Parts: sequence; C-alpha cells; structure tokens
Amino acid sequence: MSTTPPVVEARGLEKRFGFRTAVGPLDMRLAPGEFTVIFGPNGAGKTTLLRLLAGIARPTRGEVWIAGERVGEGGNDWRCRLGVLSHQSYLYPGLSASENLAFYARLYGIDRREDRVRQALADVGLAERAGDRVRDFSRGMQQRLALARTLLHDPGVVFLDEPYSGLDPHAAALLRRVLERLREQGRTVLLVTHNLSQGLELADRVVVQARGRWVSDEPRSAVDAAGWEAEYTARVAAA
Amino acid sequence: MRDYLGHVWAVAAKDLALEMRSRERLVGMGTFAVLVAVVWSFSLDPAVRPRSVAGAMIWVTIFFAGMLGLGRSFALEREQEALTGVLLAPVDRGAIFLGKFLANLLILLAVEALIFPVYGLFFGIGLGGSLGGVALVVGLASVGFVALGTLFGAVAAHTRLGETLLPILLLPLLIPVVIFGVSATQRLLIGRPVAEVMGSVRMLAAFDLIYLFVCTLAFGSVVEE
Repeated sequence: MSTTPPVVEARGLEKRFGFRTAVGPLDMRLAPGEFTVIFGPNGAGKTTLLRLLAGIARPTRGEVWIAGERVGEGGNDWRCRLGVLSHQSYLYPGLSASENLAFYARLYGIDRREDRVRQALADVGLAERAGDRVRDFSRGMQQRLALARTLLHDPGVVFLDEPYSGLDPHAAALLRRVLERLREQGRTVLLVTHNLSQGLELADRVVVQARGRWVSDEPRSAVDAAGWEAEYTARVAAA
Repeated sequence: MRDYLGHVWAVAAKDLALEMRSRERLVGMGTFAVLVAVVWSFSLDPAVRPRSVAGAMIWVTIFFAGMLGLGRSFALEREQEALTGVLLAPVDRGAIFLGKFLANLLILLAVEALIFPVYGLFFGIGLGGSLGGVALVVGLASVGFVALGTLFGAVAAHTRLGETLLPILLLPLLIPVVIFGVSATQRLLIGRPVAEVMGSVRMLAAFDLIYLFVCTLAFGSVVEE
C-alpha cells in the first residue's frame, strides 16, 4: 500500500437499512492520482458506498475524509474537490444544457462562467446543442452532459457510478477519452461498474465488492485480464 | 455573505426560470383560485354581505392554491435527482432553502395579485384606501406560509405519500398565520384603520422571523439522507 497520504479515506464505514447491512464495515484509502475500479454484482452496495463517500448519504457508523476534511462536518472545501457522476444526471430537464451548467458553475463559484460552460460542452461534444432543453436529449446525451457537470469545476477527485450505461459506441469512446485524460492529469478516480472489460482498461487498482464488503483489493498488474471473468465470478460466489 | 446571497439568488432564479418556461404552477394555482371564487359566488346566501366574509374566502383560496404550488416545488428537484447535485456543491443548505423560499414566495405573490382582482370582480370587494394595509398583512402572512410550506414540501417530497402529506404536516403549524392573517385582512376589508391591526402585523412579523430562522436551520437535516 502507498505511504502517500490518502486523498479519500473511510474508517469503519458502515451503512445499514433496518437490519440489512448495505455497506461495511469498511476501511479504505485512495491515494492521490490512483484510478480505482470497483466491480460487483447488483446489490453489492457499490452505489451506496459511492453515496457515502460523496456525503450524499449519512453512514450508520464510521467516517469519511476527503483531502483532509471530514465529510459531513463543517467546511465545504472538500465539495469543491469532488465531482460525482451517478445513475441520475442531477440535471434540470426544463433548462437547456448551457443553463444547467451555468447554474452549477455559479454554485461552484467558477470564474468566467460563460467560457467554462462553452468549453465543458465542447469537451463532451454538445456545443451545438447548448441551447436545447435537456428534456429533449437522448439518454446518452444526458449522460454526456452529466459528465460535463461532474468535471465543470475541475475536481481532483472523481467518483463515477456506471458511467457507460446508456451510451452508444461513439459516446462510450468519448467517455473513454475523458477518463484517459483524467488519468493523465493525475486525478483520483473511483469508478464503479459491473462491466469487466471497460473497468479493467484504465484501472490502477481493482476491487471486488460483494455483500457490502471488499472481497479483494489488488493492483491491476496482479489481474490477468483473460481469466478475470472466471476469477471475478468465483470471488463473488465465495463472498 | 456575497457568495451566500449569490447562491440564494442562483437557486431562486433557476426555479423562476423553470416556472416561466412551464407555467405549471402559475396556471394550476391561478385556475384553482378562480374556481374557488366561482364556487363561493354560487354558494353565498344573497342576504350575506360578501365583504363580511371576504377575509375567510380570500385566505382559504390563498392557502389551498399555495399548497398546490408548494407541493410541486420539490417535484422539480426529484426528477433526475437534481437536488442531490445541488447538495454536492459547496453551498450552505440554508442558502438553498432561502432560494427555494424566495421563488415560492414570488410565485405565490403573483397568484395573490390575481386573486384580489378576481374577488373584486365577483363580489365587488374593492381595496380602496386599505390597499397598503392589506398588502402588508397578506405579504407578511405569505412569508410565514411559504417558509413553512417550503420546508414541509421538502419533507413530503422525501416520503412515499409525497404531496398528499403536505397539508397534513403544514396546516397545524399554520394556525398562528391563519389567526392573525385572516383576522387582520378581514378587519381591513371592512374598512377598519391599519392602526387597529398593528398587533396582528407585529405577531405575523414575529412568526415570520421564527419560521424563517428555524426552517433555514432545519432544511439541511430534511434534505440530506
């Protein structure tokens, strides 16, 4: 494990819904610049984990730290460093693409908002649809706009929950280029997916989560891509 | 402070822009208000002077039309979980509440600006010299109503019962606004001087401050999981 101070850290993290434990107890750390992929079957608690780490959901026990600040307490600086792409786009369907981004740019206190919004739309190939309402966008276009919203404030830590869902091959290729760029720029990325091949493409670290716990956590170099599907299935079954 | 006010205005401007596009709430609330006035016009005994019950008629219309609009306020945020995106941003939860409150208040005031002429037309209730006093009372009562309605609109949106729950939660806590708002409006409409309702005006202002303070503080706990 790296000795660099972690940029994201969870200690004794646990989330229960009634008598059912969705996540944890879990201790985890993400080193700066690390691209971590979490694989897991449906219901493994991956999305819940991401929501806990992002401060969207409150843990039953434990704590989360991002860039040295405890999530959910006091300051807001950690929010400026975090971008989250979820199943839902977090966009307003009644506003246009540029109005949505301008709104978020204002909330994040971004300078030269118009330029930044224009650039963000161009980065996801939506510059020509800037004035169109999100309601009229296809699922894939909404996902691309959601990606632009996620990266609008230039976050150092990015959480992505099934980002490839609903994307056509062209949009999936665009997303891959964006993820490669994040990797090159040294952003800390946590990608949650159950698509094994897409997940392995960019990972530095590979985690398997099942029944709310991390059943394996290893560097990408230790994973044999050819036999990964069988290995993954066996690990989930044994959990 | 400048950032805080900027965030308040950003949230309010976003809600108002969405409303101006769809006119969903304005049309719904306005139609409801006119319909209630029509019902009153057919149900009042000709022996009853409309002015003697105008305060009650107008406030029943405002409260129920208002609840229609407040219930929809967080429906905007539920679609695509947009509120979660806002909560992820470095924005004070109180600023989000005040932005939603401000937009809801402006929408309600717009509907109230329709309600008074409608009642004037149907029942011959003119405001005459009491316009300033009525505007003050209605404005203050609306602030308290919308503050509570915005908070409980958020509570209701997080439950399975949704908008159905809003009146159940809201009406008991609205009692002070109802008592002071309706009685002061009624007195002004029958031609009493403003000085006579200053006690109610002060009570409405006090409840407004309490509601705004408590609701601004409580909003974060309501909207975060």
